[in-house]
Amino acid sequence: MTRSQKAPDVRPTAHGPAPAPRPTAPAAQGPAPDARPQRPSGFAQYKTLLGKDLRQEFRTKEMLVSMGIYAVLVIVVYGVALSFARPGEEFLEVSGGLLWALVVFTSLLGLGRSFATEKENGCIEGLLLAPLDRGVVFLAKATSNLVFLLVVEVIAVPLFWFFFSGFAHPGAAAPLMVAPLVVGSVGIAGVGTLLSTITANTRGKDVMLALLFVPVIFPLLYACVSATTAALVGGDALADVFGMSLALAAGYDVIMILASWVLYDFVVS
Amino acid sequence: MNPILVEIYSTVIPSAPYLIAAYALLWVALLAYVLMIMRGTKRAEAQMRLLEEAVAEQVSRSRSER
Amino acid sequence: MTKKTTKLPETGQWPDRVAPAVLVAGALLTTAGFLMAFLVVPPVGGATVGGAELIGGSLIANKLLISQKIFFFHMPVAMVSFCALAFAAYYCVWFLVTREQRFDTCAKIAMEISLLFVVMTMITGEMWTRFEWGVWWTWEPRLTTYLVLMLIVIAYLVLRNMIDEPERRATFSAVIGIIAFVDVPICLMVTRLIPSSIHPVVVREGGMSPEMGLCVGVIMAGMLCVGFALYRLRFRQVRLEQRVEAAKELLED
Repeated sequence: MTRSQKAPDVRPTAHGPAPAPRPTAPAAQGPAPDARPQRPSGFAQYKTLLGKDLRQEFRTKEMLVSMGIYAVLVIVVYGVALSFARPGEEFLEVSGGLLWALVVFTSLLGLGRSFATEKENGCIEGLLLAPLDRGVVFLAKATSNLVFLLVVEVIAVPLFWFFFSGFAHPGAAAPLMVAPLVVGSVGIAGVGTLLSTITANTRGKDVMLALLFVPVIFPLLYACVSATTAALVGGDALADVFGMSLALAAGYDVIMILASWVLYDFVVS
Repeated sequence: MNPILVEIYSTVIPSAPYLIAAYALLWVALLAYVLMIMRGTKRAEAQMRLLEEAVAEQVSRSRSER
Repeated sequence: MTKKTTKLPETGQWPDRVAPAVLVAGALLTTAGFLMAFLVVPPVGGATVGGAELIGGSLIANKLLISQKIFFFHMPVAMVSFCALAFAAYYCVWFLVTREQRFDTCAKIAMEISLLFVVMTMITGEMWTRFEWGVWWTWEPRLTTYLVLMLIVIAYLVLRNMIDEPERRATFSAVIGIIAFVDVPICLMVTRLIPSSIHPVVVREGGMSPEMGLCVGVIMAGMLCVGFALYRLRFRQVRLEQRVEAAKELLED
């Protein structure tokens, strides 16, 4: 159906064959009165889609393995980059940023793959032909991306500290950095799903994804690096930075995921 | 010259290159965009001329066929 | 410019009729502002010197900061770039609502204007930063926001080149345009609200004097006019190209 839309003048009603309820539709199309009774079935759809993605991934482990190895490679590159650095407490101030660079690069790889497989197998066409709510497709895809990202982080972050524990020992508040990692991953998965759907249909997908993803994610990255560094360094002065940064990151998540959810409808039709 | 005056004006000369560069580059950027538009217009006009020729040719052909 | 969905923006409508006059007004206003910035508004004083001297009838006891004159063009240009971005987002929304390719064209051109003014802001800003702070770049909130804005606008324009199908290109770029418009204020907020331990918070000099305000206002009005005129000029050119293309296709059939 992607090819059937060559007509230059498609009206907003001609969104595709799917008579999906559109709770995400802009005001011009009026509120969707059937959003409420559809909700249980929407949730069921969500569960089915998510289950499909997770089952497929945990069977082949294609993406998890490639993301995991990539994360290890990034750590190796860090090791080379830091091989002439002196160990010391200053490392803690940098390590938050390094950790997030690791997360960003790894998630870029994962996001690029997430739609590539769907496109290669032609799954996306079938998925869009089914009478599914686009919002549900978005949420399912974002959740599966989030799960993969979190799984990789669970492996990569301890590994990071395993390799770099010789540089410095994080403060007592270090476990707090789980919070920015989770909040950041939610935002990355949400916005990244929208952007990877867009770039899956363009020439030079991977470059395009990076080009769009990095500037758009910038505020989240900044807030998360700040919160992570605060957690690692510890101390009284950084206690309020942590809360503020986390709140801003969460605010970014809410606004951008809402925007992505609304706009996803236009992207996949 | 009075040393106080020298001190008052001390930043004028060092900052001049940056100041001039800022204003010059500002207008260079604007001018570059205008030139880009001009070039585009010229290209479109050339295309238009080709189009006119093609139309004239087709018209004459359809006349001779008749 | 386009208040009604029924009426598409097209060349030769009233904005095009006023565009030459606006361009002249813009040129006059910016020139007036330029002269005003250098001749009328007194230079801002920096560090105090060990004494005072009577210059032109007023007692001056500070170093004169001529580099501050950059500000008179820097800020208005930055404002115009935000303005253009807002227009681009507006056209993006209109495109998604109406699915008219024309709005996509408008959004693209507004983005280009935005990029132009962002680049102008960056140039003037960098020159000032280099002189006053002694570095070409620091990760100061405003600079950072501008860099991100510039990157997103560039990404938008690159994305357009990467998609061949007009309908899809328009939809995707409209989505990115809206995302950009949502993202930039967040970026500004985030970089400003999180206290940075490395860089000092840049203390803004106290409010502008009325003359400075007037000067900035004049230049801002001028730059808005210039931006508008450039937008219309570019719009005319792009529309001409599109019409030629359409006529060509018609002829080939």
